Amino acid sequence: MLEFALSRLLRMLITIFVIVTGVFFATRMSGNAVDFLAGEGLSADQRETMIAYYGLHSSIGEQYWLFIRSFFDGNFGLSFLERRPVATIVMERIGPSLQLLVGAIVVTLVIAVPAGTLAAIKRKSWLGSTIMGAAFLGYAIPNFVLAILLILIFSFWLGWLPSSGNGSWLHFIMPVTALSAALIATLTRYTRNAMLDVLSQDYLRTARAKGLPEDRVIFKHALRNALITILSVLGLQIAGLAAAGNVVIETVFAWRGIGEMLVTAALRRDYPVLQFGVLSVAVAVILINTLVDIAYGIADPRVRLSRA
Amino acid sequence: MHRKALILGLLASSLATLSFAAELTVGSSNMTSYIDPGKDHSNVGSQFYYNTFDTLIDKDHSKADGAFVPGLATEWHMVDPLTMEFKLRDGVTFQNGEVLNADDVVFSFNRMFQATFAPYVVRAKDRLANFTKAEKVDNLTVRVTSVKPEPLWETLINMQQLMIVPEDYIKGLSGDPAVAEDSDYEAFGLAPVGSGPYKVAEFIPGDRVVWEKFDGFWGEKAPFDKVTVKTIPEMATRITALKNGEVDIITNLPPDQLATVESDANLKTAGMVTPLFHLVIYNTLNEKMDDPKLRQALNLAIDRDTLNEALWLGKAVVPDSHTMAEFGELYMPELKTFEYDVEKAKALLAESDYDGSEIRMDTSATYYTNGFLAMQAIAEMWGAIGVKTSINVDDKWTGGDPTMNVRNWSNPMYFSDPFGSFGVMWAPGGPAEGEGRFKADEDYAEKWERFRFSAKVEDRKAAYAELMDRIENDPPFLVLYRPFESWGLRKNVNWAPFPGHIPYVLDFRAGSITID
Repeated sequence: MLEFALSRLLRMLITIFVIVTGVFFATRMSGNAVDFLAGEGLSADQRETMIAYYGLHSSIGEQYWLFIRSFFDGNFGLSFLERRPVATIVMERIGPSLQLLVGAIVVTLVIAVPAGTLAAIKRKSWLGSTIMGAAFLGYAIPNFVLAILLILIFSFWLGWLPSSGNGSWLHFIMPVTALSAALIATLTRYTRNAMLDVLSQDYLRTARAKGLPEDRVIFKHALRNALITILSVLGLQIAGLAAAGNVVIETVFAWRGIGEMLVTAALRRDYPVLQFGVLSVAVAVILINTLVDIAYGIADPRVRLSRA
Repeated sequence: MHRKALILGLLASSLATLSFAAELTVGSSNMTSYIDPGKDHSNVGSQFYYNTFDTLIDKDHSKADGAFVPGLATEWHMVDPLTMEFKLRDGVTFQNGEVLNADDVVFSFNRMFQATFAPYVVRAKDRLANFTKAEKVDNLTVRVTSVKPEPLWETLINMQQLMIVPEDYIKGLSGDPAVAEDSDYEAFGLAPVGSGPYKVAEFIPGDRVVWEKFDGFWGEKAPFDKVTVKTIPEMATRITALKNGEVDIITNLPPDQLATVESDANLKTAGMVTPLFHLVIYNTLNEKMDDPKLRQALNLAIDRDTLNEALWLGKAVVPDSHTMAEFGELYMPELKTFEYDVEKAKALLAESDYDGSEIRMDTSATYYTNGFLAMQAIAEMWGAIGVKTSINVDDKWTGGDPTMNVRNWSNPMYFSDPFGSFGVMWAPGGPAEGEGRFKADEDYAEKWERFRFSAKVEDRKAAYAELMDRIENDPPFLVLYRPFESWGLRKNVNWAPFPGHIPYVLDFRAGSITID
């Protein structure tokens, strides 16, 4: 077990190292940051002054060495734009992003798993078709279109919900809906397919033959087996969202999250924010994957056994 | 009975509090990363300084060419041709309670005149280079010295970069409290303190500024107890927030959304032609672009009035030269530097060394309102006289790129004089020449020097006309128009941008805004 944990940890570290190194060099290959930050109208010597100010006058090798050293001394530097520690900026942003993400996951699980299960059981009835039709629609509408539609209907026309910000629970309704719609659609489809798969298995027939009530057959025997697929899909989707996938929603709803921060930092070449932001997201994604792995073990004892 | 009276009393007092707690909320399309008037000259940052800080000499901003009025200085006069003396207002305090005296003024000025902090060095060089030092005479008297006789004393002292900041507070922000270190200036940008009518109560870079009324302000007190400016980057969300009553004012309302806002009975718009020029600039030193006849032809081929009608609903202003009413005595509408004449353009193109190859037009996707659309339209207009183009969309600034042929740019009015716009941007050794896309020869430099430093207005105007002749005949740019900028407001808000400010200032001082 210890060997497994250590090898897992090593793999995590190597992955993070490769990602941040990639980001470090990729950002610097697209021109000097000063041309994105200080922008127009600097004379040659003013430009040099600002390059030195941002610490970009030293060679790429020296900058990389400083960057690597920051992992050990914990000093990840100041944002080029805001001139405050990048850790402060990222920490400010993680909370709102997590709130949105957790909200979307909870809503997704609460809706998609029962809906997918129902769609599988009632696959030949109007209910099954309706659920899958709605799922198709949810999947087909891009989230930014849905976000604008929601604002138009519930804020602009009806005036029921606040259009942006995150001051109260009312503020969560539209961004969480916009963010989870496609997630619900995807997970409903996967749940249905996984359930259909499981429902046709021999052991389900055996369970029914034993005289077990139908709800126990469905929830204890079928759903639990379908959970592996559901968890895998959910894990992938969440990792995608955590890695700046919700940037559009954050921008539309003026929600100060990490996705919006990363995109701004990338556009303005705010290297320190970008580097530390990507590092944080990479760690988060790896943690999510680890959690999903643990959840596999809970859902399926065979996974636990194979790793022991 | 007592209880009833108590409840009624509480109710009355809370109602009183409610009615007097005047608040204003603004939904802004963008937000500054720091609040330090010395290092900033951006269009984003300029929104935030006037409410927080004061200058020695203020201005009547209600008019485009408003008169200078006392600010933190009550009087000023020349003591010799190179020295101006300022008498400071007595009894002024900063928002943190520190008394504002000559030491603060000397510190504020010398941190710019003798700058060592890189962002101050850069800002001071292009506009404050003629000042050498500020000296304290006594607690309420300061003298400022220039290198050459300065024709623009009031104009320059009124500049955002020379707003007064507290010396002791800044020095104490980090490290040694007796020394102004770079880290002090960095920290100040995040926790600014001035002497203006509103103190910054909360500032989250990129997100929000919250001002609170400063009760110790020396002038007429602020009309609001609290003003919040929060970022709502998406335009549809911003308009919805206004309609919903979540905000009272929104910034950056594009021309095609004016009708949406105006059609709502509870909303209205305010707008103004911005003291800023949008330009097409040429890399005159690039071998493809080095023939003046080609650039003249390109200028003559652009129908700017059509651009104005199509992109700005005719609300922008198309000037005949690099001039605007805000330049006051130096406003020169009689100059005809730019015109539209397709036939002349074709003739000049035929005479030029243009070889029929593609000219690259650089533009950012969104930085300048309508900038990308304007470039597409211009490409069509140039195509009509036989010039091939390709549009290169890139958010990177390419003004210093030797391979750049053509791109868009803006020349804001940093202060109310042609020196504050053309004079800074197209100075010998200034940004355009420094980036290697324009060459100021001796003749140009001599004309610029006369325009900049002549004591008589007439001499400055004559030199400016000569410079514009040079621009017409060997054009490094074309002024497209002065964009029309709009704000959306709730109907009960009486506010409009004052024409005497630099672009985009959110002025919420007494006399600038009321609520019905």
